[in-house]
Amino acid sequence: MHDTHDTHGDCGCDGDEAEPSAATGEGAVADGGTAAAPDSDAATDGGTATETGGDFEPVDVFEGSEMDLRPGADSCYKCTSCDTSCPVAEVDDSFPGPKFQGPEQWRLKRKEDTEVDDSITGCSNCMRCDSACPSDVPLSQMHNTARGEYVDNQMDKLSREYLRNRILANYGTLAGIGSKVPRLTNAIMGNSLVQKVNEKLLGITAERDFPEFADQTFRSWWKQRGGPKVESEDKRIAYFHGDYANYNTVEVAKALVRVYEAFGYEILVPDQRCSGTPMFANGMLDDARRSAAVNVENLGDAVEQGYDVVASCTSCSMALRQEYPELFDFEGTERVAANTYDALEYLLINENVIDPIRAVDGDQLDLPDFAYHAPCHSRNQGLDRQAVELFRHLDGVNVEDVGDSCSGISGTYGWKEEKYDYSMEIGEEMFEHMEHAEGETGMTECPTCSMQMEHGTGYEIDHPLQVLEAALVDTDVEI
Amino acid sequence: MSERTEVLVVGGGSTGCGVARDLATRGVDVTLVEQGNLTHGTTGRMHGLLHSGGRYAVSDQASARECIEENRVLRDIASHCVELTGGLFVKRPEDTEEYFQEKLEGCRECGIPAEVLTAEDAREVEPFLAGDIDKAIRVPDGAVDPFRLCVANAADAHAHGARIETFSPVTDVLVEDGEVAGVEVTHESGAGKRVHGREGGTEEIYADHVVNATGAWAGRVGDMAGVTVEVRPSKGVMTVMNVREVDTVINRCKPKGDADIVVPHETTCILGTTDEEVEDPEDYPEEAWEVDLMIEELSELVPMLTDARTIRSYWGVRPLYEPPGTGTEDPTDITRDFFLLDHDERDGLPGMTSIVGGKFTTYRLMAEQISDHVCDVLGVDAECTTAEEPLPGSEDFSVLRDYMDEFGLRSPVGRRSVQRLGSRADEVLDTDRPNPVVCQCEAVTRAELQDAISQSGTDLNAVRLRTRASMGNCQGGFCAHRMANELHDAAEAFDRDTVDAALDELWQERWKGQRHALWGEQLSQAMLNHLLHATTMNRDGAAPEEFSAFDAGGPNAAADDSGGPTGPAAADGGAPAGDDAPGGDRGGD
Amino acid sequence: MAIEADVVVVGGGLAGATAALSAARDGAHVHLISANESTLRQASGLIDALGYPNPDGDDADDAGTDAAPGPLADPFAGIDDLPADHPYRIVGADALRAGLALFDDAVGDLYRGGHTDRNALVATTSGRAKPTARYPRSMAPGLVSDDRATLLVGFEAATDFDAPLAADRLAAVGVPFDVDGVTVEFPGEYRADAAVTRLAHALERDEDAGEGRTSRQRLADRVRPHLGDAERVGFPAMLGDSQVEAVRADLSERLGAEVFEIPTGPPSLPGIRLADRLFDALDEAGVSMTTGTPVVDHETDGDGDIVRVYIDRNGAEIPYRADAYVLATGGLVGKGVDSDRDGPVEAVFGCHVPAPDDRMAWSEEGAFADHAFARFGVEPDDRLRPVGSDGSPEFGNLFAAGGVVGGADVAREKSASGVSLATGLVAGRSAAEEG
Repeated sequence: MHDTHDTHGDCGCDGDEAEPSAATGEGAVADGGTAAAPDSDAATDGGTATETGGDFEPVDVFEGSEMDLRPGADSCYKCTSCDTSCPVAEVDDSFPGPKFQGPEQWRLKRKEDTEVDDSITGCSNCMRCDSACPSDVPLSQMHNTARGEYVDNQMDKLSREYLRNRILANYGTLAGIGSKVPRLTNAIMGNSLVQKVNEKLLGITAERDFPEFADQTFRSWWKQRGGPKVESEDKRIAYFHGDYANYNTVEVAKALVRVYEAFGYEILVPDQRCSGTPMFANGMLDDARRSAAVNVENLGDAVEQGYDVVASCTSCSMALRQEYPELFDFEGTERVAANTYDALEYLLINENVIDPIRAVDGDQLDLPDFAYHAPCHSRNQGLDRQAVELFRHLDGVNVEDVGDSCSGISGTYGWKEEKYDYSMEIGEEMFEHMEHAEGETGMTECPTCSMQMEHGTGYEIDHPLQVLEAALVDTDVEI
Repeated sequence: MSERTEVLVVGGGSTGCGVARDLATRGVDVTLVEQGNLTHGTTGRMHGLLHSGGRYAVSDQASARECIEENRVLRDIASHCVELTGGLFVKRPEDTEEYFQEKLEGCRECGIPAEVLTAEDAREVEPFLAGDIDKAIRVPDGAVDPFRLCVANAADAHAHGARIETFSPVTDVLVEDGEVAGVEVTHESGAGKRVHGREGGTEEIYADHVVNATGAWAGRVGDMAGVTVEVRPSKGVMTVMNVREVDTVINRCKPKGDADIVVPHETTCILGTTDEEVEDPEDYPEEAWEVDLMIEELSELVPMLTDARTIRSYWGVRPLYEPPGTGTEDPTDITRDFFLLDHDERDGLPGMTSIVGGKFTTYRLMAEQISDHVCDVLGVDAECTTAEEPLPGSEDFSVLRDYMDEFGLRSPVGRRSVQRLGSRADEVLDTDRPNPVVCQCEAVTRAELQDAISQSGTDLNAVRLRTRASMGNCQGGFCAHRMANELHDAAEAFDRDTVDAALDELWQERWKGQRHALWGEQLSQAMLNHLLHATTMNRDGAAPEEFSAFDAGGPNAAADDSGGPTGPAAADGGAPAGDDAPGGDRGGD
Repeated sequence: MAIEADVVVVGGGLAGATAALSAARDGAHVHLISANESTLRQASGLIDALGYPNPDGDDADDAGTDAAPGPLADPFAGIDDLPADHPYRIVGADALRAGLALFDDAVGDLYRGGHTDRNALVATTSGRAKPTARYPRSMAPGLVSDDRATLLVGFEAATDFDAPLAADRLAAVGVPFDVDGVTVEFPGEYRADAAVTRLAHALERDEDAGEGRTSRQRLADRVRPHLGDAERVGFPAMLGDSQVEAVRADLSERLGAEVFEIPTGPPSLPGIRLADRLFDALDEAGVSMTTGTPVVDHETDGDGDIVRVYIDRNGAEIPYRADAYVLATGGLVGKGVDSDRDGPVEAVFGCHVPAPDDRMAWSEEGAFADHAFARFGVEPDDRLRPVGSDGSPEFGNLFAAGGVVGGADVAREKSASGVSLATGLVAGRSAAEEG
């Protein structure tokens, strides 16, 4: 188990432009080389000395000191709920589970003990342990921080794994380049020889087809369209589309625009970078920090001007809401977190969506039945039921929940050659349930879960916003 | 039954074990008897501070000098028992500058390396220190595991031919012809209670000389011999935190007072302490206000302690002594120096020496001086080597190996095991069997438990002290029964009654200390433990009187359509393969 | 705006699920909010109703000794012996009966024991016979009142269950069957600290376990030489996840003896199966659910009724509105009851929780004694509304159920699930009436 030094990611769906040096091979190695100094800082930020008030607050008093999460172990009473919810521990016995990886490993540390057990790289960062824990142990924060320390202190920055993880974590940079010539890139990436080379040289599995780039990015469409079509003083959202909806599933982003405009919202599309999700998952906290700084600044400005932030990808909203405040402390981080929402969630809180949906005659729509999978990162936000429960009101369209298992791809995890089989084994339960479900089209909020669903079943996969668009925008129902 | 030995040491604390090792390595035939397990008395109930001497640098410079000297010796000979944490004397705004300067000068006068840190620098060392502290003095305080140290001393004594007998309280001191001739002990060992060493009732052990090293209990042994030893026991509370809020010993820089020290100890921190004279070293009140005081006072140094989780509290009794007629009122004013009472000289009773007072850090020096005295009396001519010879477990060894690779352990588990086992790690962890972690809080594996069982028999509290199993945040909730299972599973295959008695005893001991930590997270933990052991395992409920009165399975239960041996396998879960009929694969493993 | 329902249930454990099902059955639109995954995932999966109404017996000296009274065969017969403030005395035996019926209905074929009022006895991992009212179907063949010869099987690396020791203990209390125990290595190459879910998964999928054989084949091979005359074989409850019946059937056939599961502490597969089944039942009943979000705030009207509650999503507070609310957040373990050095308090709405002033009186010296803390919880009125220290309801439309309700030492009584079912049923019904 020592021949791999890999870490995993989650949803690769974020961001816009990134620094070219961050993901090209040379830049990555050079950058990483300096970060390898044994006394290098953890990629954590600011934070003030806190007297903990019941709930554990991370403490990082001095700029650049390592974040001490040992007191977070105070809340653990060993119930192992986290372990039983861990999709990786269920298929991979080299991963001991979140309890060991989180509160136990932290508690066993002494100041001079910097070594992190290398099984930390087995974690896929699905974050299910967080919502499993009855006691609010900061599990994913412990994982993220330990993984960052591991990558900084113990991982060989010249290794293939490091390079591969760096590339996977910085998907947006590649996408930015590739999408300039989408057809050519699609042709190259779809070439099986290229895939084999990727596997051999980089450890990126050849089993998966690279996601196709859209002919036109969302941002380019938005610009061409002339920006928002609706103006409003009091109903304003800033859309965080992330990389994936920008480069690949542009239809999702367009659906969001149409649905929100139908409800009378003025939409702002701020400059943005990757949310950082795949970077957290690979322990690339410096990269994540750079992206987050830009996002917090731009989204913070929007919030200041009265916009609420809305994301169509649940991993993006998860990063903005939970990981940023846990790991960074830029000016405005908490305010952005408190004003960020998932796209469907925001509508359900602020608008009467149910009555118009009830008024639609679903049989007249050209919609299939769906097998719905709730992504882990939506589950962790308590959003796993909203699509199923909303579409109960849409007559003639059956949306069936395929259960609470993890899809297994967890962003970049399932792209790694050595994790591919585990990824498919984790996904097996979801594939089976999808096949048992009546619908033969999938539905989910997460772009990489969507890839996995398609990969495992051959189904086409839609986003709930696309169904809303079909039901509410493409019909003449009164909203 | 009677035995004969040259020197009989009464008391298995740091002093007794130190004396036993010292004499044994000088070639003297030694027997040590202890009423409980090793460190049962005061040694096992201290805060684990390895003094730099800084605490005595103003009030008692002779002690301070001894401390820094012994501090250096122990780092060498007991490296696996000692952690070099360093210590800080922290000055708050309300503490006087005058005392701070006295402390600093005192340290320097006594040869204790001392360095002044600004508040900022101190908080670089310990980020959880209060934001409003003034400054601090850094000294080479450390942390020591007293049990591990005593066990190592006893083990070395044993290796040099000494007999170590635990759970053998002295029930009489044998005085013959005006001279102490030995003691009578009663072995608690035997069926139903525990098995260790030898079984049996009482035993008379004759000796050329008896060393009474029973600390706070010295008066009792003295009484049996007909001499008066005026020990003044003084209790102090120690409150154990769940994690290490600090990695450095934190002292309050003020003259004296309760609740002025935090000692990082293994995975925890220990807050101490109070100082209250008590009548009886075994029977005194353990009061909630003492615990509250620790938290409230020490949170002025480390604010997060206010809401941090404590997992238990315990009390120790100092064996303070002052010569008759000194008349000190406040126990905190009684000297921490030790006294060697030669009863021949003092009371006209030859054959016995008592040792009282003193402190843990200088145990080896005390042992050396006592042993010198005993050797004088016995006419033995041998040099003390205890300051140079490393203790078992602290022999030179390289910790730079990858224990995870070697023993299949996760790195924090391997690291903690090696920190506890020192140079014994190889022999203990190298096992053919699956070696699961039994105590997850403290990362203790089966191999380490089995090693401890091979040393201490069925006494699970001694196993606990050797390994730290059940000393973490669940306080045994998730491992006490597993530890008991290891007894049943041990090479000796201890029987059910023995295992059950050992488990009940451990469980009760764990419970006792937790009662002083039952609020917040530890109360949740206690309730979860209660549910696990009472509800899930039903360890508390009485057995049924009449089995047939209960549900024996409904019409759908016993003759279940799919659970039965002849039922069809459900489609989904993988039906038995056709070419592999049951029975046909006999012996496949 | 707010997310609307007739009844909001706070808490997703057994009591919360029961209350939600009970209210939904009475026609209410229910929204269930739970802060985390259900603590059922830690529980053994047994549904205890009442085993020891008076665990210490009438003579305190008998506590924990052989002279203490044994378990009740009829749980309903013990209710009148409970103290007057016990939740069972407040809701009555009929509520327990109705709660059990609702449970039977919700879990269907997953459980057994509904055919009789009597308690069953189930062997625990520590080798004790425990009284319980409902048991998973996978445990049914293991009942202690059954007289078939039994083999218990433990695994080398699973240190919480020593099968030979458990067999020894069962034999020592005179169970009506021959019992033996054996420890084997789990088939296949796994690390010693592999998660229980990993091993369960291997059995469920009948994975390759080396030497061209599957894990179930090799497990049967290892057990077979120890079978002797045993007609049934008990394993710790990790025989697969959702496909436990298929795993049991296969192993039973391979061994020629009926295979059953023994309830364990956490991690507990039967607890997870139950949580999953209840989730399905809630889904079928049309209950809306939000999990992973704590209720952090509430608003009241002039009459002292709750008008809204707010959940927290990382700083964003999201309102939920209902006519009535059920508090089913659990006790000290489920974190429905919080405490500090001064005393306990109900965690979400700040309801009064009675406790002795002296902290040392919260517990007793004996580890298994009658601890006051084990009874910590809100004090309910006759409609299960938590009352303040003055005895009047804290809110007009808040009803409490399950572990958050005080007055019962469910661990020693073996009554945890029954109390949740009985109070959940009544609280759900009362809340639906308000709607």
